Amino acid sequence: MHRHDTDGTGPAAPGRANSARGGPATASAPSLPGSPRPARAPEPAVDVGAYLDLDQGLVDRTILSDPALYRQELRRVFAPSWLFLAHESQFGKPGDFFTTYMGEDPVIVAMGRDRKLRAFLNACRHRGMRVCRADAGAAKAFTCSYHGWSYDMAGKLVNVPNGADYPAHFDREEWGLTEVAQLDTYKGLVFATWDPGAPPLVDALGGMTWYMDAMLDRDPEGTEVVGGVHKWVLEGNWKLAAEQFASDWYHVNISHASALMVMSPSGKGPKAEIVQTHGRQYSDPLGHGAGFPTHPKSRFDDRVVHGHYDYEALRERLGDARVEGPMTTGHATVFPNFSYLPVNGSIRVWHPKGPDRMEVWAWTVVDRSMPEEVRNAQRLYNLRTFGPTGIFEQDDGENWSECQATTHGFMAGSMALNYQMGMGLQAEDGVHPGTTGHLYSDGAARGFYARWRDLMNTPAWHEKDTP
Amino acid sequence: MSTTSTGIRVAEVGGIEDGEALKVPAETTGHSDAIAVFHDGGAYYALDDTCSHGQASLSEGWIEDGEVECPMHSARFCLESGQPQCMPAIAPVRAHRVEVREGEIWLHIGPDDGAVG
Repeated sequence: MHRHDTDGTGPAAPGRANSARGGPATASAPSLPGSPRPARAPEPAVDVGAYLDLDQGLVDRTILSDPALYRQELRRVFAPSWLFLAHESQFGKPGDFFTTYMGEDPVIVAMGRDRKLRAFLNACRHRGMRVCRADAGAAKAFTCSYHGWSYDMAGKLVNVPNGADYPAHFDREEWGLTEVAQLDTYKGLVFATWDPGAPPLVDALGGMTWYMDAMLDRDPEGTEVVGGVHKWVLEGNWKLAAEQFASDWYHVNISHASALMVMSPSGKGPKAEIVQTHGRQYSDPLGHGAGFPTHPKSRFDDRVVHGHYDYEALRERLGDARVEGPMTTGHATVFPNFSYLPVNGSIRVWHPKGPDRMEVWAWTVVDRSMPEEVRNAQRLYNLRTFGPTGIFEQDDGENWSECQATTHGFMAGSMALNYQMGMGLQAEDGVHPGTTGHLYSDGAARGFYARWRDLMNTPAWHEKDTP
Repeated sequence: MSTTSTGIRVAEVGGIEDGEALKVPAETTGHSDAIAVFHDGGAYYALDDTCSHGQASLSEGWIEDGEVECPMHSARFCLESGQPQCMPAIAPVRAHRVEVREGEIWLHIGPDDGAVG
């Protein structure tokens, strides 16, 4: 058998059209990083300003259902943002991996031989099939089960079956898995972004870290996740959930009335001080939000977990304001789609699956130094309340699906929704950093949608001409 | 490692963990390929390290139930005979004899015909 090169004599190879290599000009459709070929020319962007009048507290319901706006979200909200991937404790040794999504993009998070965490697009560079189809595990290579292209834990293409039949200009170095532009961790949480120009993670989290630390920094040893990841599908736009976790305590006494009855020690319903609780809601200019009751005697709901904590030590470590505020039974969203509940120990991602559907992926997080019986109690409490069959989670999922179900009606789907609660009450309160408002407020939702609007109306890095 | 007329000492017992393999370089043995010495449930085996299908190192493979699975394309080989157990491999890899003697693991280069008894 003899080999002969057709380089330069055969038809143009579509996989090699890269402006940096003398291929077609790509000014109108610049290359995505790691891709030697131009990105698909994006459809014209919609100015979403017409759908949001946040000064008046109005949001058009179309943003929950429109397929074109959804595709624009994937390009301009998800692609450039720092997105939550996993918890560091999921990776103990080289070869450990976890597969998840960034927006609708499948990604592999893997620990390399150098113990460094990396994240790659889970798509073979040959025909695009996922090269890893397991949820999690340990691997020595990711081999596509279609034709057998094989990648090492650093994403490098290390084996191509029938390699002799590729032309001389085929260079395996150019065909590694597409790696995220930046990956970083914040106190155990792993985030990544496709945008090489995105600010560092800690800047993107901004003032939210003070609030996040009420969950992530209670224990000098940090946190870890226990058990696996619960995953469930909900009919409903991802923003319904993300927005609620940023901003909505308002629904608690109505939506969760039956759960509050069941959970009350007397069985006759919660005390008035719980129903009429005071609290604050934080709204971050980067779209994050957190709401929390304020109470001089903060306590964990589960009896065993409550017994575990030394509240005086927590006050010394985190300060009174955090123990009496964000550490209570609050809720929070890190823009765009990572949310958590500090007391329940629930961390979750709202994966978008089209305008009308989301997948919830939820972990239970515990303090590393918790003894076995305490972490078990925390895990069970989280599942009882906010697991896939949790008595509160069930109420929330029903609301979001019901909200979504009628968004495709012309009249019902294009009306203005009211986000006016708490307008004029946002201020610096001298206790909680940044801008806060009353617990019962749409303030953080307005902040969430303001950030969403700004990203939606700004061309992302991949739309700009490369120098 | 040391070479004598009675074989090549590659490790002490305990030096290769169960489910792991030691890659003995070609320079050490004078053999045409590196040799992977496998530990599977207390028994030791040795095969030519390079998978007969691709270029993968079998010492990096998954060792289970008397077989090694190639880390690249999942072909499996019998640790004892080197015979392929499934596609995509169709050719055997050469097997070598391993002896445990006085707490040490000794490798004996096998004959050209592949399997050793």
